[in-house]
Amino acid sequence: MPATMSLTVRTARDELERINAAVDRLAEQDDWPPDLVFRVRLVLEEWNLNVMDHGHDDDTHEIDIAMSCDDDAVTIEIIDGGKPFDPLHDTPAPDLTSAVGERRVGGLGVHFMRELMDEVRYKRESGKNHLKLVTRKVR
Amino acid sequence: MEISTETDGGTVVATPTGRLDGSNAREFQDALDAVVQDTERALILDFEQVSYISSAGLRVLLVTAKALQGNGAELALCSLDDPIREVFGISGFDSIIPIHASRADALASVKG
Repeated sequence: MPATMSLTVRTARDELERINAAVDRLAEQDDWPPDLVFRVRLVLEEWNLNVMDHGHDDDTHEIDIAMSCDDDAVTIEIIDGGKPFDPLHDTPAPDLTSAVGERRVGGLGVHFMRELMDEVRYKRESGKNHLKLVTRKVR
Repeated sequence: MEISTETDGGTVVATPTGRLDGSNAREFQDALDAVVQDTERALILDFEQVSYISSAGLRVLLVTAKALQGNGAELALCSLDDPIREVFGISGFDSIIPIHASRADALASVKG
């Protein structure tokens, strides 16, 4: 029986706590190593705060999050009805090289997703953003 | 997130505890702003007790590094967990903030 989790949160930043608690429960149930917990938390925070801050005008909308685990990998699916946002095409290249004085942080969240996940897929369907992320349990 | 500080000459060692994420980035920034005011020469952030950092936490470190540079002081980090070290590598933050294995190494580097 594969471990699964699904959760609907509002587009409010304080929902991050519920998202993290859900990750912790699944991690415990499926016995994840600490580095896996870290990267799943990270991509969920980066994407969901992005959706909350930029995809919606207020905190009354919903984001659906589902996760499932098999022996080798964790699959994460996130759906929201906000503004279209394709992380593979709509984000500026992150600034990884400027000196301190000129350095900017924009675009790092999506960069983390692309670097830390084995698969990042996006589609816009029925007026919603569908993001699918897959990470192997052991890298 | 909590933060404790020790001062040794012009060097301040600050030890945050917990997660540095989007839920407490403002609190972390306020705490570091106060520390920056008291830093004459160097600020060492000891990450021994930090279990997680996201781009929201990195943003705070960048603002802090810029403020310290403006004051002619330096910033160094030490004792990062492997996943945190990886985030610093992927983000390129390891090219703007010196990272040391231990507090002793960090102290030696800012005094050298």
